[in-house]
Amino acid sequence: MSYGADLSFSWYQPTRIVFGAGVVRDLALECKRLGVERAVVVTDKVLRERTDVVSRVQAALGARCAGIYDGVIPDTSVQTIDQGAAFAKQKGCDGLISVGGGSSIDTAKGIAIVLTMGGGIRDHQGSQSLGRKQTTHIAVPTTAGTGSEVSQYAVVKDHEAHEKMHYADDHIVPDTAVLDPEVTLGMPRGLTAATGADALTHAIEAYQSINRNPMSDALAIGAIRMIAQYLAKACEDGSDLVARGQMLVAANLAGMAFNASGVGLVHAMAHIVGARYGVHHGTANAICLPHVMRFNADELAARLRDIGDALGLDVRGLSDEAAAQAASDAVLKLNARIGLPAHLREVGVPENELDACAEQSLSDGAIVYNGKFAADKDLVLGVYRAAY
Amino acid sequence: MPLFPSAEWVTDYKNILNASAQYKQAGAGWTHGPIALVTRADPGIGIPEDVGIWLDLHQGNCRDARLVNRGEAEKAPFCITGEYARWKQVMRKQLDPIQGMMQKKLELKGQMTIIVKYVAAAKALVEAATQVDTKFMDEK
Repeated sequence: MSYGADLSFSWYQPTRIVFGAGVVRDLALECKRLGVERAVVVTDKVLRERTDVVSRVQAALGARCAGIYDGVIPDTSVQTIDQGAAFAKQKGCDGLISVGGGSSIDTAKGIAIVLTMGGGIRDHQGSQSLGRKQTTHIAVPTTAGTGSEVSQYAVVKDHEAHEKMHYADDHIVPDTAVLDPEVTLGMPRGLTAATGADALTHAIEAYQSINRNPMSDALAIGAIRMIAQYLAKACEDGSDLVARGQMLVAANLAGMAFNASGVGLVHAMAHIVGARYGVHHGTANAICLPHVMRFNADELAARLRDIGDALGLDVRGLSDEAAAQAASDAVLKLNARIGLPAHLREVGVPENELDACAEQSLSDGAIVYNGKFAADKDLVLGVYRAAY
Repeated sequence: MPLFPSAEWVTDYKNILNASAQYKQAGAGWTHGPIALVTRADPGIGIPEDVGIWLDLHQGNCRDARLVNRGEAEKAPFCITGEYARWKQVMRKQLDPIQGMMQKKLELKGQMTIIVKYVAAAKALVEAATQVDTKFMDEK
C-alpha cells in the first residue's frame, strides 16, 4: 500500500457490530438500547416458511415485535418498499429489523426512508440528500456477501418503469448489524459460493478503487485473507460454524471497505447482466472479476500483487505484472473449486447482446470508481468478450 | 466582476456556456431536463439562505439560466447541493463534481445513473465556470 501527497479521504462508519453464535437472542436488548419499542421484521417468505430463522428473531424480540413483513422479493422493488412502509405505519413501527440477504436489508433501508421522509420511495432517489437520521434499523444478514448491513447503498427496481434506482446516503447505514453465524448454517452451497464471491469482489474492487484509502485498504486486505481461508471451507462443509462466522465477518469488512471507497467495473458489468438476464449478482461478479483484474493489471499491478499475497500466493520473486496475473488466476481457481461458472455464456447471456450490455454499463455508478479508466464502451465490451 | 453566486454571474455563465464548443459536444446527448446547483446558506459571507442556480440544459445548449430559491431548485430533476466552499473548489478545479458526489462532498437529488454518463459534460460545465470573471463572496 502506498499513497501520494494528494491522499484525501473522510471516514464515517456508524454501525455497531454484534458478532457471535446465537447472538440473535440479544435482539430485544439491542432494540432497548436504540429505543425501539415496536419493531417490524422485514424478510422474505422463503426464509419465513422454510427456516426457523424468522421465528427465532420473533421469539427474541418478544413483546417488541410489532409485526412481520415478508413481502421481500429478490432485487427489491418500489412496490415492495411502499407496501412494506404502509404495513409498518399501520403497525405503529418505530424500528426495523431486516432478516435476510441484501434484498431484505435494502428493503428495510427503503422503508426507513419512506417512514421518515414521507411520500413513496421514488421521491427520494439521490446521493446524500436525505439530511437527517432515518428510522432505526437493525440488520441481521443471513448470507455472507452483500455487506449491505454496513453500507450507505440501496438498489431498488421499478418493475413497471423497468429501471433501477440507486440510493446512497449516510443516513441509511443500519444502526446495528447482528452477525450470527448460526443463522447462515442453512444456506445452500451454491448460495454460499455466490455470496462469498460477492464479498471477495467487494474487497478486491475496493482495494483497486480510485477512492481507496488506508482505512478501506486495511479492511479490504483483511477481508481477502479471510475469504481465501474460509470461503471454500464454508462451501465444502456448510455446518462449519467457524468458517461461517469468519465469512460473515469477512463480508462485513469488505462491506465497510466498499462503503468508503466504492466498487468498480466488475459491479458495473454484473449489475447489467443481472438486470437483463437474471444472473445472480454474486455469480456475475465471480465471472467478471478475474477478467477485470486482468484489464486493470497494466495500471494497478502493484495493488494486484498485494491482492495475490492476501489470497495466499507466494509472490516473492515475481514481477508486479506476473503477480497480478497470478492473482487473477487464483480467483479463477477459487471460483472453480467452489463450483461457480467461469463464463457468461454458461449463465444465459446472449453473445449478440454484449454490445448492448457494454453500452448500458456506462450508466452504472460503479464504473466511475474503477481504479483504471473504464467508462468507454469499447473497453467494457473487450472485458465482456473475455468473460464470455 | 460578478459575485458568485448572483444573477449577474449566472447571466455571464450562460453566455460562456453557450459559446463553449466543448460543452456543445459533450452535452449533445443531454435530454434529461434542468439541473439546479444549490449553494447552502452561509450568513457569515453574505449568503443568508440557500440559493440555487437553475440551468435549463438541452442537447448541448443552455436554454435558460437564473437564480432561484431552494424550493424552486428542488423542482429540477437533478438538484446538486453543496457548501459554498465546495462550489469554490469545483470552480477552481480542485474538486471534480462527479467525484464530489461520489465522495459525499456534494449531494445529489436525482438519478446518479444518468449523471455518471455525462462525465465529459460535467467537465465542460466546470471549464465554462472557470472562465467567468468571478468575484468570490468570501474574498470581498
